[in-house]
Amino acid sequence: MSNQSNPHELGDADFHSTVHSFEFWFEAVEGYLHGRPYGVSPSTKDVELDERQREGLITTLCNYCVGETAALEASSGMIRFAPDRHAKIFLSTQVVDEGRHLEVLLHRMAQLGVAEPEAEIEKRANRSLLKFKDRLLDFVDARDWEASVLAQNVILECLEFTVFRHHSGTADPVTADMLRGIVSDERRHMGFGENDLGRRLLMAPHTHDRLHKIKRELDTLVLDTFEETLGELGVDRAERPDLAGDYLAAVARLGFRS
Amino acid sequence: MADFLSNYSIQKWLESCPQGYLEDTVYGHGADEREPEELLKNEQFREAQIRTTVQLIAGERCALAASSGLINAAPDAASKTFLATQTLDEGRHVEIFTQRLFDLGIAQDDLESTIKTYINPNLGKFAEVLLEKVDKKDFVAGVVGQNIVLEGMAFSVFEMLHATSSDMNPKFAHTLAGTIADERRHVGFGENRIGELIRRYPEKKPEIERMQRDMTKHMLATFHDSFAASPLAAASPSVAPGARKSAGTYQGLNLAEASNEEMEGALSSVVLNEFKTRLGRIGLEYQSPV
Repeated sequence: MSNQSNPHELGDADFHSTVHSFEFWFEAVEGYLHGRPYGVSPSTKDVELDERQREGLITTLCNYCVGETAALEASSGMIRFAPDRHAKIFLSTQVVDEGRHLEVLLHRMAQLGVAEPEAEIEKRANRSLLKFKDRLLDFVDARDWEASVLAQNVILECLEFTVFRHHSGTADPVTADMLRGIVSDERRHMGFGENDLGRRLLMAPHTHDRLHKIKRELDTLVLDTFEETLGELGVDRAERPDLAGDYLAAVARLGFRS
Repeated sequence: MADFLSNYSIQKWLESCPQGYLEDTVYGHGADEREPEELLKNEQFREAQIRTTVQLIAGERCALAASSGLINAAPDAASKTFLATQTLDEGRHVEIFTQRLFDLGIAQDDLESTIKTYINPNLGKFAEVLLEKVDKKDFVAGVVGQNIVLEGMAFSVFEMLHATSSDMNPKFAHTLAGTIADERRHVGFGENRIGELIRRYPEKKPEIERMQRDMTKHMLATFHDSFAASPLAAASPSVAPGARKSAGTYQGLNLAEASNEEMEGALSSVVLNEFKTRLGRIGLEYQSPV
């Protein structure tokens, strides 16, 4: 594979053809995936979890699978109506990233002794997250590019980025290692959302109001997801991390303030 | 089924494809490989190569739309993750064949108009039949159309182009070798996964066989038009005029001497035999469009 120079030194057209390419994707992921089967370094040692920890982790992983399945189905569905070939190629790299996330999460669940992951996910899935998934796929089915990019590459990716980053700081070593690889992918996906919507908002500022309305609706589901998940995990209110604040800050950094 | 699908995991794909046979390639070929000078200087041959490459891009765009569109309809996580790898494979194929058009001298701004000028309308109809099934989220018909019919056709076309270019255009041959390796994996998934689903839903057979018949009709018309449209280049599509004498063989035909009709006949025969064999393996009977 070729070595890419700094893409930020390129002009607009060259930037897009470079960043939204298989070559660029491969060079980006190779550093943190090479020699790491299922996203974990072979030298990372697993630790014994007690039953409460194991149950909590399985519930969390089940909900991560809901989010990643939503991202996989949405990003793949968006390819058909992506506005140009660079966006189509970028989304095809995102599809394989999301598929990989789902695969490594299911692999971790198998390591924890979950024999029927799909039944377990159905049993433990968070209601607000399922509603979020339905809304996201509504936008995709309606071929609404701007709403799909906002819901998928800004809101869902910021949600996952926030949660995975927090969790990787407290999780067992194998789960933490796996999550760090996922977070690296999410940064790239958020970059695409920021870049694509940023340019569109500059060209058509009137779309801002429409997207803000969608954001407000989805924010409610995201914040409910945090509450429900932390509640299910039995985390004491006083000890809960400020996921909502971090999520809103991450979305604001991409240009979408509350 | 779980054991079979584990062979199509993203982990296996990462190890065998981007970290395997694509290692050290740029747009699927060696960094120092170029289109032959003789080809670029001969306007008639260059145009024939542009026409051929446009058909490859059109086919790969259809495959990208189909494989990504089927993820939502896939019945289990393992099939979804396999289709995710196929989506990126097809996206890569679109990218490398598009890059070949640029290498053949097409300006980036002229890409879509060039495709519109040279695309074979029958190939468009072929894609429509498949994408109609994908739009209906019909997973079984979609995978047969995509991974048996479309990929079976692409596999044979790539092999023919590879045979005709391996000596004279190593860059294009190298690019094709990677796509052939990808298509082999896609066809394997189709055969293994769909056989089981066809046994479970036998009532779907007539509709799927109709789709195969329609796709085959448009495919044969595409072959006919393509060989007729590029009289000089069709029999030896990747080489310059002076090089044809040393071109190799394909299906027993001497490429330096074969006529367009002979090449069209050989390719059609190979693809139809592939269809019969692969459809038989999944419990379907090949339907002739004639």
